[in-house]
Amino acid sequence: MQWFILGFKNLIRRPTRTILTVLGVAIAIAVLYSLFEFQQGYQSRLKGELGALGAHVMVVPKGCPYEAATIALHGGKWPRYMDENLLDKVKADPGVAEAAGVIMDAVFPPGGKSVIMLGIDTDYMKLRPAWKLRGSWFASDSSIILGSSVAEDSKLQPGDLWTLPEKNVTLRVSAVLGRTNTQDDGFVFMPRKTLQEISGLEGKLVLILIKAKKVDQTDALVASLKASEVDMNVFPLSELLGTISALMASTKVFVSAIILIAIILGGVGVLNTVLMAVFERTREIGMMKAMGGSRGDMFKLVWAETILTTVLGGLVGVGLAVVSSRLVEAAIRGMIPYAPKGSLIGFSLPTMLFCIGLSLLLGLLAGFYPAFRAASIKPIEAIKTE
Amino acid sequence: MKPEVKMAVQAKGLVREYRRGAERIRALKGVDIAIAAGEFVGLTGHSGAGKTTFLNLAGLMDRPTEGKLTVLGHDVGKRGAGFDALRRKNIGFVFQEFYLMPTLTALENVLMPTMWGKARDMTEIGSAISDRVPSRKRARELLELVGLGKRMTHRPSELSGGEMQRVAVARALVNNPRLLLADEPTGNLDTVTRDGIFNLLLALNRDSGLTVIVATHDLSLESRFSRVIRLEDGNVV
Repeated sequence: MQWFILGFKNLIRRPTRTILTVLGVAIAIAVLYSLFEFQQGYQSRLKGELGALGAHVMVVPKGCPYEAATIALHGGKWPRYMDENLLDKVKADPGVAEAAGVIMDAVFPPGGKSVIMLGIDTDYMKLRPAWKLRGSWFASDSSIILGSSVAEDSKLQPGDLWTLPEKNVTLRVSAVLGRTNTQDDGFVFMPRKTLQEISGLEGKLVLILIKAKKVDQTDALVASLKASEVDMNVFPLSELLGTISALMASTKVFVSAIILIAIILGGVGVLNTVLMAVFERTREIGMMKAMGGSRGDMFKLVWAETILTTVLGGLVGVGLAVVSSRLVEAAIRGMIPYAPKGSLIGFSLPTMLFCIGLSLLLGLLAGFYPAFRAASIKPIEAIKTE
Repeated sequence: MKPEVKMAVQAKGLVREYRRGAERIRALKGVDIAIAAGEFVGLTGHSGAGKTTFLNLAGLMDRPTEGKLTVLGHDVGKRGAGFDALRRKNIGFVFQEFYLMPTLTALENVLMPTMWGKARDMTEIGSAISDRVPSRKRARELLELVGLGKRMTHRPSELSGGEMQRVAVARALVNNPRLLLADEPTGNLDTVTRDGIFNLLLALNRDSGLTVIVATHDLSLESRFSRVIRLEDGNVV
């Protein structure tokens, strides 16, 4: 323990230098922590979002299926549609337990918040057994159900009138959806036919969500649906999860390589600082050896000092990452094509321990050479006065 | 219990040669010196006479080029493992420039030599201020002895030159050495402070029988040693 106490006292002798060195390590570790946490948060949130769809298979019009999936998850406007008749074909497949056809549209009023609308029917409710409605299901074709966030923002209650911006269509709120913590909270739901009329998309669908009768036979269901109709894209949601995750994983490898370089540079910085400190303290180390300190003692002393620096850097880095998680998250979100909603960078003990462990390893490696140099100092040369 | 020896330091034909580039410098040219246990010896001579070279050899920090040197019964020619421990347990050093650790208090500086080696009792720097641990108790006693009982928690920057040297003396004594080597211990001090430090070394020798060897070029101190060994150009004169 005294090695670390003595090491700490040495570090605070030159606070500016120590702070800068610690910061060098801290920034590298903070980025590493953020990346790992983002990766984990991303996967878990994505799984959550896909799970919230309540389906095993998704059918979308021809085109990029992942773009369609993004629209399906977060809502929006996608200029590709499929014929509503396909829904009957899908429902006729013996492997299908439930199937819900969805039409989707969005309006983007200038200066206002975008409104994402989903046209659904009672089939959709079967995929959402956990939904809790405050109010009642669509009483008429001019009824809507508001997602909880939309209701909070607009301060509307069941029975109130809601006007769709840009289209001058007024509909009545029949229910407000209880908070689901999913994408549903941000949608305005209305009868499918109503939205089709408002958007001029009669007889069209954007997607069909399918719940398989047997989950373990999802692949067979997908094959069967693909064979039955060539004018649609059929894919299991597990595949979507796998593809997006793989895309993220490949990004992670690239970013990890950059972070690794940053960490190595941080380590070189630590090595340089500690080595400089050893050179500056040659006489002092010589004196300690003259007082009976052995090579091993000097080695441990300098090693402890280096480990303290890097572990402190690791701790500060993790703290920085947690404190600035919102900022980092926003920056990463801006760089990737699709990110699930909600907080992605959190506090996880295993990631924290990994980062601290890595900073410890960095200290062990970076401190070895300066410690060796300190151990090699000859007292007679160090304290020569004659 | 440390074994008794009659001779603290015994050198026969001691040579120490250094290389400076292609040049060979003979700092000691075959000196014969015998210092008995309990002596208070002054090692005098001009700068470059070989005083520090001899102290370094006697302090087991260097090895002779030729000749035989025995320190506290140990043949330095047979140097091997264990000399760090021998130095730590038996030899105390006082340097002209004190070499105190600036971040440590006076008490912690005194305790520094107790933290090295396997035998340390883990008391030392940063431990609770308690006298339960022998080395800490001794360090406090030594600081009292050198007149710094009220300055124990002060850092070197808060001490005068004389006080820093007193801390250095206490540090040299903390492991109960049998041999105290002081290299120009008063070289950086004013006359009054110099006398104080010198009297302290004298009292240590007189009261505890500690063998003290002081290298100095201050001729005014010669009369106060029990014996003076004068070196000149690497020879005893």
